[in-house]
Amino acid sequence: MFTMVKPRTFGYFFQSAGSSLVRNSWMTLASIGTVAVALLVLGVFMLLAVNIGAMAAQVEAQVELTAYLADISSQQRSQLEAELKAIPGVAEVTFVSREEAWQKLLEWYGDNRHFLAGWEDDNPLREAFVVRAESAFRVGEIAAAVARLRGVEEVIYGREIVEQLLSITRAVRGVGIGLTAGLALAAMFIIANTIRITVFARRREISIMRYVGATAWFVRWPFIIEGLVLGLIGAVVASSVLAWGYYFAVRSLAAAIPFWPFVAPWPLLQSLALALLCLGALIGVVGSGMSVRRYLDV
Amino acid sequence: MISLNEVSKRYPGSRELALQSVTMTVGSGEFVFLVGQSGAGKSTLLRLLFREYLPSSGVITYRGRNLARFSGGELLRYRRKIGMVFQDFRLLKQKTVFENVAFALEVVGHSPQSIRKSVPAALEEVGLLDRMLAFPAELSGGEQQRVGIARAMVRKPQLILADEPTGNVDPDNALQLMELFAAINRAGTTIVIATHASDMVDRLRQRVVQLERGRIIRDVKRGGYSNEP
Repeated sequence: MFTMVKPRTFGYFFQSAGSSLVRNSWMTLASIGTVAVALLVLGVFMLLAVNIGAMAAQVEAQVELTAYLADISSQQRSQLEAELKAIPGVAEVTFVSREEAWQKLLEWYGDNRHFLAGWEDDNPLREAFVVRAESAFRVGEIAAAVARLRGVEEVIYGREIVEQLLSITRAVRGVGIGLTAGLALAAMFIIANTIRITVFARRREISIMRYVGATAWFVRWPFIIEGLVLGLIGAVVASSVLAWGYYFAVRSLAAAIPFWPFVAPWPLLQSLALALLCLGALIGVVGSGMSVRRYLDV
Repeated sequence: MISLNEVSKRYPGSRELALQSVTMTVGSGEFVFLVGQSGAGKSTLLRLLFREYLPSSGVITYRGRNLARFSGGELLRYRRKIGMVFQDFRLLKQKTVFENVAFALEVVGHSPQSIRKSVPAALEEVGLLDRMLAFPAELSGGEQQRVGIARAMVRKPQLILADEPTGNVDPDNALQLMELFAAINRAGTTIVIATHASDMVDRLRQRVVQLERGRIIRDVKRGGYSNEP
């Protein structure tokens, strides 16, 4: 039965949890260390994913595909433009005439435009639609849809670069989630064991509590608080190490890899610390809950 | 107050019944000795009364209500009307006499003022007021059991269940403890004691329920330990 707890009683719970943490100091340190390592690994992968995501977003913004057109009438071209805009995931469609394409080519060649001499009167370029996708993840499917439209002769986009970047992002996220889940589980079991030792050490007190009419929650609370404290301290340790490490890593890497759009430490680290604190608390509470449920039988 | 009707108890994994078709009533204000050899079912009966266990068959009622059907809240309120005393005292070694007795009030949310008032009163009743700052290790067996009794009675329970309360104390102290129980009973508290202490039972001449292999073989109003059924 869950009943409202008086502030004075909470004082007893915290005192009880505190003295237990001190009494089992080695297990306390082991639990905090495990939670800290688990959350540290998670944090590293989160920071990697955020930064690769930033790079992907930058590439994404630049990812566009070019649909070269067959020899079609202006009426057919207008219809094709409408069809392109109707494809799901298409953000923008821009028509590029042969003349505009030629001008761009000239600009691109710049000082070397003499290589194009002789072609001015016989522009070999084709009309095209430049299609920008809402997300790089959808470029492949949009390209396939565009290629199927009547009037489109060829579709070109930086397929390999986009796909590689996307697969790296997916892999980092996947490995990060997998590793974190494994380590979080390990941390939970270590916390459960720490609490189990506490429960064992205090079994006499617990049995007396039950005989003198304490509620199940009165017995449980100190252990839940103990798990919560272990999880939170682990998260604080992990967040501190991450904040310090990321701050210095960004400072030194920004100079070494200037093209990479590193995400600024603030407010990223604040959000990360908050997420780790919540996760640490969750790991602690679930870990101790497992023990309390299994070994207290209350 | 509490009635048992055809109550049997079989522990999981055991082929034998710890209690067999026990029918008895404990009236309000009664003093009952449960006697019998080890394994006769005395402790099982006490644990069923505390509703630590449920009977395998039969019904136990408290003031007409089936204990097995109590909700979580009802069970908690029921247990708070009971004081438990154990053979091994079950005191917390790191707490003083005062703190051990206060613990029974703390866990049910009594205020510090009420604890400061009730605990010395209980310790005075058991004759340990001058030892309230001592730790259990500094007390004799008899004194430790007095602390256990003070803890059981500090909440003024309706019923005290004691399992071999004199099992770990010398005969002189055992007699004093029994006299203490008798005094608590005279003040209106119902008392059920499981014991081997035949001389104490003979001396106090209270109701005696004798168990053998889980069955009641004798239930006399003012009997001795060794009367034949």
